[in-house]
Amino acid sequence: MRYRVLALAAVAVALSVVVATASASAKRSNAHTLTVWLQVDAQNGWPDLVAAANSAFQSSHPGWNVNVVYKQWNSHLQEFDATIAGNDTPDVIEMGNTDMTAYMASKEFANLGPYKASFNNSASWLAGLKASSTYGGKLYGVPYYAGSRVITYRTDLFKKAGFKKPPTSLSQFQSQLVKVGKMQKHVKGFAPLYVGGEDWFTALSFVFDYGGSIATQNAHGKWVGTLASKKSVAGLTRFKQFFDATQSRSTATLDGSNPFPYTVFSQGRTAANYGPAWYTCCVKPIKASKVGQFVMPSHTKGKPMPGFLGGSDLAVPIQSNSQAEARAWIADFTSTANEKALEKKGNIPNATNLLGKSVNERAAARSWFIPQAKHWADVQTGNILKTFLAQFLTGHLSVKKAAQVADQNIAQTLNEP
Amino acid sequence: MLTAAAATVGSRRRVTGRQIAGRSVPYFLLLPVVGVLAAILGYPIYFLVKLSLQRYGLPELVQRHGEYIGLDNFRAVLHDPLFWHVLLRTVVFTAVNVGLTIVLGTLGALLLVRVSTWLRLLLTIGLVLVWAMPPVVAVQVWQWMTNSQNGVLNYILTQLHVGNYFQHNWYETTFSSYAMVTSLIVWGAIPFVVITVYAALSQVPRELLEAAQIDGARAWRIFKDVTLPVLMPVLLILTSLSIIWDFGAFTQPYLLIGPGQQTSSNYLMSTYLYYEGFGKNDFGTGAAISLLMLVIVAGLSVVYVRRMLRVGEEA
Amino acid sequence: MSRRRTGRLGWNVVGIVVFGVMVFPVFWMITTALKSNNQIYSFNPVWFPRHPILGHFSDAIHRPYFWTDVKNTVIVVVATVAIALALSFFAAIALAKYRFTGRKLFIVLVIAIQMLPQAGLIIPLYILLGRFPTGNLVNTLTGVILVYLTFALPFCVWTLRGFVLGIPKDLEEAAMVDGSSRIGAFIRILLPLVAPGLVATSVFAFITSWNEFIFASTLLHDGSKQTITVWLSLLYGGNRFVDWGAIMAASTLIAIPIVIFFLLVQRRIAFGLTAGAVK
Repeated sequence: MRYRVLALAAVAVALSVVVATASASAKRSNAHTLTVWLQVDAQNGWPDLVAAANSAFQSSHPGWNVNVVYKQWNSHLQEFDATIAGNDTPDVIEMGNTDMTAYMASKEFANLGPYKASFNNSASWLAGLKASSTYGGKLYGVPYYAGSRVITYRTDLFKKAGFKKPPTSLSQFQSQLVKVGKMQKHVKGFAPLYVGGEDWFTALSFVFDYGGSIATQNAHGKWVGTLASKKSVAGLTRFKQFFDATQSRSTATLDGSNPFPYTVFSQGRTAANYGPAWYTCCVKPIKASKVGQFVMPSHTKGKPMPGFLGGSDLAVPIQSNSQAEARAWIADFTSTANEKALEKKGNIPNATNLLGKSVNERAAARSWFIPQAKHWADVQTGNILKTFLAQFLTGHLSVKKAAQVADQNIAQTLNEP
Repeated sequence: MLTAAAATVGSRRRVTGRQIAGRSVPYFLLLPVVGVLAAILGYPIYFLVKLSLQRYGLPELVQRHGEYIGLDNFRAVLHDPLFWHVLLRTVVFTAVNVGLTIVLGTLGALLLVRVSTWLRLLLTIGLVLVWAMPPVVAVQVWQWMTNSQNGVLNYILTQLHVGNYFQHNWYETTFSSYAMVTSLIVWGAIPFVVITVYAALSQVPRELLEAAQIDGARAWRIFKDVTLPVLMPVLLILTSLSIIWDFGAFTQPYLLIGPGQQTSSNYLMSTYLYYEGFGKNDFGTGAAISLLMLVIVAGLSVVYVRRMLRVGEEA
Repeated sequence: MSRRRTGRLGWNVVGIVVFGVMVFPVFWMITTALKSNNQIYSFNPVWFPRHPILGHFSDAIHRPYFWTDVKNTVIVVVATVAIALALSFFAAIALAKYRFTGRKLFIVLVIAIQMLPQAGLIIPLYILLGRFPTGNLVNTLTGVILVYLTFALPFCVWTLRGFVLGIPKDLEEAAMVDGSSRIGAFIRILLPLVAPGLVATSVFAFITSWNEFIFASTLLHDGSKQTITVWLSLLYGGNRFVDWGAIMAASTLIAIPIVIFFLLVQRRIAFGLTAGAVK
């Protein structure tokens, strides 16, 4: 018995020695490895473009290796923070465009302004993405790609209801949706549009369409919430009307993360989604021939509704010891050839001269972005906007009252030191 | 007869006093554990305490240097009414979860003793499968089951005519949301309690049980007088551990209610820490909240820890 | 005798119902892995796929780093469990069977460590492992093992102490009368009796290490070094289509080693039962 215990202990020790030496022998980054953090969308969607950038970089930098690490959206910022604390940040990191501001304000990224010319098409970068990479007049990131929001719809159902062409105004769209809804009311739980009431990208598009805004800085640099302003309230009221007419009441407190709108679409329980253009990937068993897309129309006839321009930028942490190489890799990854390839895969490329005519890209013609405030990310984290939307969509509070509460919360969060 | 038997067991405990031979032996036995814990946790705990006394946001993280502000972080948190609301909610949540887990788990272990061997094996494998399910996957299955749009729960309740639960949103109110979270956590915690209590039941002296049964004592008396005293150390451990774990439960409330749905009206201490501390890149506050949580949990479990220590002392 | 039979039948019925309710979510996970995508996302629940498919399993296996990450997880978990059991067994003996100064303090400290919210320790631990005296342990399996040990040890020590305390004292006395040294007596006599406790703690240490995510994800950067929970997170962490079929298939595969491990050690629980009877 004693020997068994000793043997067990010996095995445990031996095992740990093996593990320790095995891990140690797998040499960690030496001076000639470039560490790049990309989101897992690249691994799933365009691994070939990553490989192309790597080989271009390696041929112009002999003796260098590229270590691409894939991260996922839920925790990548916390993991990045840990590497900042431990002083072993990656050399290149992909950041969501709404994540950039807090880090730029904290001087975490290297100034890329002097090297702007080394990146392809930098003179015609998309305004929205460029804005997200700029802080205090300096450039801290390179636009990577963007995505806008479009209407993905059931062409067969709309045709059956007698509509042959996409609508050109919001009211026309609304009446089309209502008619389709009546036509399909035999389908249990059917709603002509499915987005999720708390999807603030949609609601705020209405705000911007009516000339409103989320928050502005006054002369003293203090942030003031502007959701309760006249124009914003007009947009929100129109949004509520639109929501009540076209969506199921039960979605007033859902934010589109569970279930995903494209899942509801695939189950045949809705005729339209307002979301990213890649939704068409995931609507089986609805046949591709029955699915189409068009640009969400504004309340003003002939114009598109301003859409939220989501996207990613690439930045170089200042702790990196290989900043020149990092910039070179980014230049390779965002080359004209790569950006054109990204566009072919359904994304919006980073420059206006590369834009095609896809629905996704046309929708980006009119876009809005979040306030460039150091603490905006906290507004998102605190789910202030979602609570706000749920309050007036469920009738709990009037639009104006809910907007006033939201303005207070937003101002309080943005004005924190 | 029952009480005499129990008394014998009890007196046996008191008869054996132990003298300390080789005084250094226990220290050597403890050395490996102390060594590992000190090496790994020593600096981090020191760093955590240091952080809690500093103003440490993202700019300070980048500079790797914070500014000392004494107890201001603690003061700010303790003066925030939100902290106390969340604390109350978490205490109630913990009490309900721990209660359900221990009671149902013990009942499960007792059931395990009474079923046929084949069913015992089947049940144990089932329990291990439940235990082994990655929490993320369990959360996703729960989301599918409790989904307002097409969840199985609504479907079954409507089919059974319990009421009209069509498109009922279980996450609309805080109470309902936490009922769902509780069901998930208790479900996931039961296997461990069942298996541990079952293992402990094997230490109940069989002759006592049989003697009691021959005597015609009822099941509850047998449980109370024979089984429970033997189980007590293990139950105390499980209760104190459950309090600690359930108080700090994060993955389930975070993922089931949804990262996008966490607000001040439905925080638990763990999500409050995550959002107000690390989500907002306010590491000083996060450290302060962590230490406060430590103190609070210590306070909540002190009763059980003390009893556990006393059980050890009697020996 | 017949009263006993119907009693047992009654318990069996209850047992089967309990089994059904408890295992239903696991059943849902496994059947989802076997369903086609249309069935997974269908509006009306598909209870059991009439034509189960294995496509999700092969899809999961063929994704990058699946087997590598399984291997990494096995290494980490086996090392953690083995070391934790050995160290905590000795510590439990010290705490339960000896009186010495600092005993109470140590027990309290052990419990206190469990009470630290793990989220608060992520950054401090990352910094420590980066500056570790024996070499940088970030992005190494050793670093992860050490972190897991820290979280497993308090629990194992605390629980094993309880099991050791539950052992009747006369056995220990019999061994001492035998003339063997105290430690020898403990190990020879206690080990088989504490076996059920060792099983419970080893299964616990195994499963919590196997399913741990936050530290593995923060500490392990390279795909070739990550554990399987991190691998899983990359499947649902993107912004686009989430392949639940593949995730459920991978989770089912991942659960199998845990069940096997448990089946291997569960005989020890029975051993514990018979040991009582022999006495």
